[in-house]
Amino acid sequence: MAILKLDNICFSYGETEVLKDISFEFESGKMYCITGKSGAGKTTLLSVLSGLAKPTSGDILYDNKNIKKIDRYRFRSKYIGVIFQSYNLITKFTALENVVLSMEIAGVKGIKKKKKALELLQSVELDEKEANRRVLHLSGGQQQRVAIARALSYDPEIILADEPTGNLDGETQNEIMNIFKALAEKGKCVILVSHSPSIANCCDVNYELKKINA
Amino acid sequence: MYIIKNALKCIGRSKGRNILIGVIVFVIALSACLGLSIRQAAESAREETLKDLKITANISFDRNAMMSEIGAQREEGQKFDREQFSEKMGKMSGLTLEEYKKYATAETVKDFYYTVTTSLNGSDGFSSVTTETGENESTANNSAAPEMPAETRGNKGVGGFGRGGIGGGMQGDFSVIGYSGENAMTTFLEGTATINKGSVFSEGTENYDCIIPSELAEFNSLSVGDSVKITNPNKEDEAYTLKIVGIYTDSSANESGTGFMGMTASDPANQIYMSYNALSKIIAASEKNATTESNETTGRESSTKLNGQLNAAYVFSNVEDYEQFANDVIEMGLNENYTVSSSDIEAFENSLIPLNTLSRLAGYFLIVILLIGAIILIVLNIFNVRERKYEIGVLTAMGMKKFKVALQFLTEIFVITLAAVILGAGIGAVVSVPVTNALLENQVAAQSDRSERIEQGFGRGQKPDSAKTEMQSPPEDGSFNPFGAFMGTNNQNAYVTEISSAMNFTVLLQMLLIGILLTLIAGAVSMLFIMRYEPLKILANRD
Ligand SMILES: Nc1ncnc2c1ncn2[C@@H]1O[C@H](COP(=O)(O)OP(=O)(O)OP(=O)(O)O)[C@@H](O)[C@H]1O
Ligand SMILES: [Mg+2]
Repeated sequence: MAILKLDNICFSYGETEVLKDISFEFESGKMYCITGKSGAGKTTLLSVLSGLAKPTSGDILYDNKNIKKIDRYRFRSKYIGVIFQSYNLITKFTALENVVLSMEIAGVKGIKKKKKALELLQSVELDEKEANRRVLHLSGGQQQRVAIARALSYDPEIILADEPTGNLDGETQNEIMNIFKALAEKGKCVILVSHSPSIANCCDVNYELKKINA
Repeated sequence: MYIIKNALKCIGRSKGRNILIGVIVFVIALSACLGLSIRQAAESAREETLKDLKITANISFDRNAMMSEIGAQREEGQKFDREQFSEKMGKMSGLTLEEYKKYATAETVKDFYYTVTTSLNGSDGFSSVTTETGENESTANNSAAPEMPAETRGNKGVGGFGRGGIGGGMQGDFSVIGYSGENAMTTFLEGTATINKGSVFSEGTENYDCIIPSELAEFNSLSVGDSVKITNPNKEDEAYTLKIVGIYTDSSANESGTGFMGMTASDPANQIYMSYNALSKIIAASEKNATTESNETTGRESSTKLNGQLNAAYVFSNVEDYEQFANDVIEMGLNENYTVSSSDIEAFENSLIPLNTLSRLAGYFLIVILLIGAIILIVLNIFNVRERKYEIGVLTAMGMKKFKVALQFLTEIFVITLAAVILGAGIGAVVSVPVTNALLENQVAAQSDRSERIEQGFGRGQKPDSAKTEMQSPPEDGSFNPFGAFMGTNNQNAYVTEISSAMNFTVLLQMLLIGILLTLIAGAVSMLFIMRYEPLKILANRD
């Protein structure tokens, strides 16, 4: 059964139509890859999926419930973990603080947040020293991994990642992909955006976005 | 909870900016604190003084009002109608003792006393203390002394409302004052005067017992138990024998030295005190024996009777009672030509002029500071929020509700403002007293300067040192306070020149309110901006 379902989604930035009649289905325990040329609207679709942008028309169903009826902030902070193409980290905070903050926003309770955050950061190859460094002083690849750790911190059902391996070398890229695979095996729904064929090959299902030409 | 933690973290991460905001708020807070403290000091000074202010009031004839009434009738270029004035003044009589007593029944009156003052001559070698030679003394004693000019005598019979002060007729050597009771003997109550030999005459006695100043005793080699003979200056053969029961010294009198030219009686050394009942007996006796004689040159009639100048004083425990009394007496039928006045109130109001002026300036200053402060804070916050647009975008994208983001920003501003306000209030508390006193000193100097200029403008020049006993000089404000002469209430330049504490709980509370108000204003602005921001747009812009 689909945990996330897009029903004839259309989206336009003012006059510019970017998405038209998109109907995708995502199930738990599977890995999806959304491909498409640059400017095809992948990031836009991700924004719509994560509730950051409201579709012009069409419905998004999360667990068979229309997300219009769910509090968007709650949806964003608890059910869905987003790894943005541009990371979107609080740069004056340390890696650790970023991860802990997202747990706090999600209202995670009953666990040692700091410990969990350090474990998560370790799983994306960031040691304690790097975890306690301000994001501003981390490399692009390290920031990307902080963003991944942050997205996983509150244990969401769906993980959205916009070019999650764009800045990573082959070896780290594989490790990250293994993390995603493990998450899918644990029953999460992992949705990746990428133009890398190797990533697309790893995934269970591929959706292709076509650029709309006026 | 994490909002506060986040806020504190954010403050720590942008030290430079926050220190800048803090310093600005601190300066605003310090200035506001000084302004508030000055206002508070003025308020406390007023309250404190009012609390201990025992008010003594008189009912006096409102000569001022009558003069302006006559003045108002006068046409352009016409002279002041002196004839009408003296006629009217002549018609006005002082209140009788019965009337005074009637008003004393008003509920608010805490204490009531009265005195009668008359002027008598000494005889049988009993003479007044004077620095003049014996020659002058005899002139003063001479019943055939030249008549006073008619204008000065216009107050004859008015009983204490004219310039001459002590009745009409001849000016004697001594001022004899009869007190209604011990509560009327204010100099003794205040402690400036003390009996050093013998004791005071018994209260309300009709015996011709008196107490005399030590100087006078010395001058005449008199001691307790001796008797002296005094006569009516208008009628030499009318004599009374007073028994000296006590000798007193009045320390306030020492400052004044001798009386003025030919005004021996006004010299404190020549003031004989006795009971009202005894003195009124003398006055009554003199009225009975009086003969009327007509002056050949002026045609005016004059009586040889002793003129007693009656003064009554009402004591109130506070200003409200005094003000209530002023209303009550009108209801009780006091003629509109009379007013209730108290030099204590005037002295009190005068003493607060510099502090009040300072307080008013501080009020304006406070408004300006708060306005500027609010504007600066708003601008700083707009910059702050705009600069942190991306952060706001990230936080909302992470699922933090906008109002929570706004709350975090508000907390940041609040913490900085609070710290700065506390620091400002703390330093303000330390410096407010010396600063207020320094400002007050300037203000007092300016005020003294001003009143001096006004005095000179009126041609009065410098006030004599002996102002306290300056009985014969016209009152400066037009309302004559007959008690001022021997009560030592001439406080004209006794300004409140120093405050002891300015900062109190009220000021702290006000500071806190100001801090919260500034925070809310600034917070509301950031709130507006944060609510307008769409995370998608912010984050997209950064791409
Ligand atoms: N805020 C915006 N306002 C107007 N047009 C926008 C906005 N954001 C994106 N677009 C346009 O929408 C289209 C889709 O952009 P989007 O960022 O979704 O592309 P993408 O597929 O993610 O590309 P890439 O692979 O380069 O990341 C582009 O043509 C872009 O110019
Ligand atoms: Mg993109």
